[in-house]
Amino acid sequence: MAEMMSHLAVGFGVAFTFQNILLCFTGCLVGTLIGVLPGVGPTATIAMLLPITFGLDPTGALIMLAGIYYGAQYGGSTTAILVNIPGEATAVVTTLDGHQMAKQGRAGIALGTAALGSFFAGTVATMVIAALGAPLTRLALLFGPAEYFSLMVMGLCFAVVLARGSILKAFCMIALGLLLSTVGTDLETGQERLTFGIASLSDGIDVAVLGMGVFGFAEVLRNLETPEARDVVRAKIGRLLPNWSDIKQSINPVLRGTGIGAILGILPGNGAVLGPFASYTVEKKIADDPSRFGKGAIEGVAGPESANNAGAQTAFIPLLTLGIPPNAVMALMVGAMTIHGIIPGPQVMTKNPELFWGMIASMWIGNLMLLVINLPLVGLWVKLLQVPYRLMFPAILIFCCIGIYSVNNQPADVAFTALFGLFGYALIKLGFEPAPMLLGFVLGKLMEEKLRQALIISRGSFYTFIDYQNRPISLGLLIVAAIVLAIALLPAISKKRDEVFTE
Amino acid sequence: MKKLALGLAAAATLAFAGAAQAQGYPTKPITMIVPFAAGGPTDIIARVVADHMSKTLGQQIVIENVAGAGGTTGITRAVTAAPDGYTIAMGHLGTFSAAPATYPGLKYDPINGMQTIGLAGGTPILIVARKNLEAPDLKAFVAAVKANPDKFNEAHAGLGSVSWTTCTLLKGILGTPKINAVAYRGTGPALNDLVSGQIDFMCDQIVSVSEQVKAGTIKAYAIASAQRSPALPDVPTTKEAGLPDYQIEAWNGIAGPKGMPKEAVDKLVDALDKALNDEGTKKRLLDLGAVLPTAEERTPAGFAALIKRDADKLTPALSAASKQ
Amino acid sequence: MSLNQIERAQGLRVRSTQDMWAGVFMIVFACVAVFMAWDLPMGSLRQIGAGMLPKSIATICGALGVILALSSLRYHGEALTPWSWRAVVHVLGGTVLFALAIRGFDLGPIHVPSLGLVIAGPLVVLFSGMAASDRSLKELVIFAAVMTFGCALLFKYGLGLPIPLAPWLLGI
Repeated sequence: MAEMMSHLAVGFGVAFTFQNILLCFTGCLVGTLIGVLPGVGPTATIAMLLPITFGLDPTGALIMLAGIYYGAQYGGSTTAILVNIPGEATAVVTTLDGHQMAKQGRAGIALGTAALGSFFAGTVATMVIAALGAPLTRLALLFGPAEYFSLMVMGLCFAVVLARGSILKAFCMIALGLLLSTVGTDLETGQERLTFGIASLSDGIDVAVLGMGVFGFAEVLRNLETPEARDVVRAKIGRLLPNWSDIKQSINPVLRGTGIGAILGILPGNGAVLGPFASYTVEKKIADDPSRFGKGAIEGVAGPESANNAGAQTAFIPLLTLGIPPNAVMALMVGAMTIHGIIPGPQVMTKNPELFWGMIASMWIGNLMLLVINLPLVGLWVKLLQVPYRLMFPAILIFCCIGIYSVNNQPADVAFTALFGLFGYALIKLGFEPAPMLLGFVLGKLMEEKLRQALIISRGSFYTFIDYQNRPISLGLLIVAAIVLAIALLPAISKKRDEVFTE
Repeated sequence: MKKLALGLAAAATLAFAGAAQAQGYPTKPITMIVPFAAGGPTDIIARVVADHMSKTLGQQIVIENVAGAGGTTGITRAVTAAPDGYTIAMGHLGTFSAAPATYPGLKYDPINGMQTIGLAGGTPILIVARKNLEAPDLKAFVAAVKANPDKFNEAHAGLGSVSWTTCTLLKGILGTPKINAVAYRGTGPALNDLVSGQIDFMCDQIVSVSEQVKAGTIKAYAIASAQRSPALPDVPTTKEAGLPDYQIEAWNGIAGPKGMPKEAVDKLVDALDKALNDEGTKKRLLDLGAVLPTAEERTPAGFAALIKRDADKLTPALSAASKQ
Repeated sequence: MSLNQIERAQGLRVRSTQDMWAGVFMIVFACVAVFMAWDLPMGSLRQIGAGMLPKSIATICGALGVILALSSLRYHGEALTPWSWRAVVHVLGGTVLFALAIRGFDLGPIHVPSLGLVIAGPLVVLFSGMAASDRSLKELVIFAAVMTFGCALLFKYGLGLPIPLAPWLLGI
């Protein structure tokens, strides 16, 4: 403990210089901006800003780049809540209840809760990294392909719980999401699958394209259908910031979300993606009245947002302690570090203590700054909702178009987003919910990859997933999956039986 | 409204006049296509080099990431663009030497169908294995693999990636196509499973693995270059360790469409050379694990020869692998 | 005689057009996927082929669709509501226009050069904006100009994205 304190003292000494605070602020501001803009993600922005950091010392450069990364996580929830567009897969869950809250005139409260929850999660995660970074690294190494596959199966069972309506339709959506995830060139054999010979599908469907289409564009289409409904939304503004009873209601979800997100964030291969989904599932399951979820429950914003931010932060652990990047943004951070002469690996902590602890300390400062940047902005964002919808939706569309185009600089991606908008509109019309589909899509890619890896390594034996002697974690995860599925299915089945032939 | 229109017209006239007045290449920003997502090794090298080249040329080089199909989508766009010198691309071993054998329907010809500019940097390839693999050195490893190829698992970052290309070459040289290839999305997750001992070995660029080797979490059998690397002086070359045939480097280089004006080619070659001589740029490339290209490799002809040499080396092994 | 028995006596009929069509939608998707993946090898458990997952997941999709369609014959549910084709055409059309204009395209004999954001931006705002029932053309034109200008500043200069502005006019 004392050792950790002295380390943190070193870190704060580094982070609290004028230059580094300024860099941290700049990073957070840019991050918030790109998070709010749909499509433009942190990976592209960090890559573009990389040459600008050449003139800085490594610590300052990394502080700024890290600020962009977690600033984007904050900003992403704003778009999800205000206009129902998830900038990244992790913001999908926030759209479910956050956007409903906005429709009820509680946008400010949703934004405020998200910011406060994220700040708390960020603070805890920073401490986790400082105190437990090194021992927690082992967790990442315990997860081989088989464990991963079982984790994904568990994640898919969560998706069933995400559903608001019919369980059968939720299953349909998960299966459809899995099917869409198989589109593209096969990783192992290089064969094109379900691409219809279209070149821009050869790398699969981009999650931003799919998400923006089925959520954002479809939402615009639905809103244009009923001009009256959206004007009612505009009329209501309500309180700007959460009051004491809102906060009291969110405390426990925030605590649970932080824990869930922090653990999943450490896992390699983007385990952080599961955090918000898992948190939402837990909150919905233990709530006194689960039917409130999907209709603007504040727990459905507080928990997942905390999980998201905690996971985003603990994702630094494998990078800082093992030198292994768990996702694309972290891979870019490796590049940013090496360019400044620091090769991330097990020795960074001892070889460059100022950099290591300075960065950790700056994470907390960054989270504080994000709170300072974001809370005053809440009023501005809510005012934005008062822009007449006849102007609002063309603005959303031009932002989406430019954002999507800039992901790969491929115009075809923009056209595909329109196609998925039509697809999403059809889903709405048919009574399907897109959230389970997007989760199925995100997990599908990882799941197939891990299934094939596990089976190659086990030489084709499924026993590897339930081998309790060698792989107890995998077995445990599958058992949890089975329990979650049973809890979700049993009431639905008995309910359906009662409903037979009644109106 | 009228005022606005007038203003716009004035601005447009000024812009045209500006374009007409400027002498010679380049008069506007140059687009450098990086055929991979932002943030990858090629992207970072491109940004480092382009940053300095922009200063020499007096015009911004804008990096445009056009990812897809192992980098061939972006290269196709670059080499089929108008050959005016304003669209160039940063490709690598995979897109220029390996792609013709890996992608049968490739829409460009790296040997005859494009204008090479020069090599930006090479990265040595290492054969690394999990730390508790029995074989103590490369000779023992080769013997063990040859005896029981079926018992070994090799990791790579997907078809067409550098790790896949170089490992397929290794398997071709050893005559052991039966080794189980496990595909990952990126070298990060693959390395994770190598450290935790789920898989047996992989071939990858020195910069991704050097810190792990130093920390002893994985072991390196050999480096597939002519000389040992200063980053890992204890790791023998493949020649020293008894596998002299396995010589391969992952490199990145610049090319553009065929038929570019000579002035543009000369200025780009000169800008690249100046960038590679700049101390700051040099240091960043060396930190990234790159080996600086020789004077010969910095010329269009030298780079073209390198593409041809590696294509000849890789094609037999890669064609055999894709026929499987 | 309870309500249940009356319903039962009426036998099987479509009791939810929404679920019926949802089931058909799933079946169509599954069939297209199976057809597209027909030639891909299944492989073995030891070395899963490229076709195994697409085909098996598509089969599951199809089966779920059949169950959904059949259940619409027994259980009551929602009916289909009409589509707002006007919104679909304008919103998605506007987006497609942006995609076509931003870098230009070649379609047979038609060749359109890269028009850039200066053209593509107003195109998407104007064309899609026409979908609103309370639109005003004058307001929309001004808004399109302001948005395009703002986006050019923000994305091109603020964030430094390599997005073409007007290659035919400004050369960038």
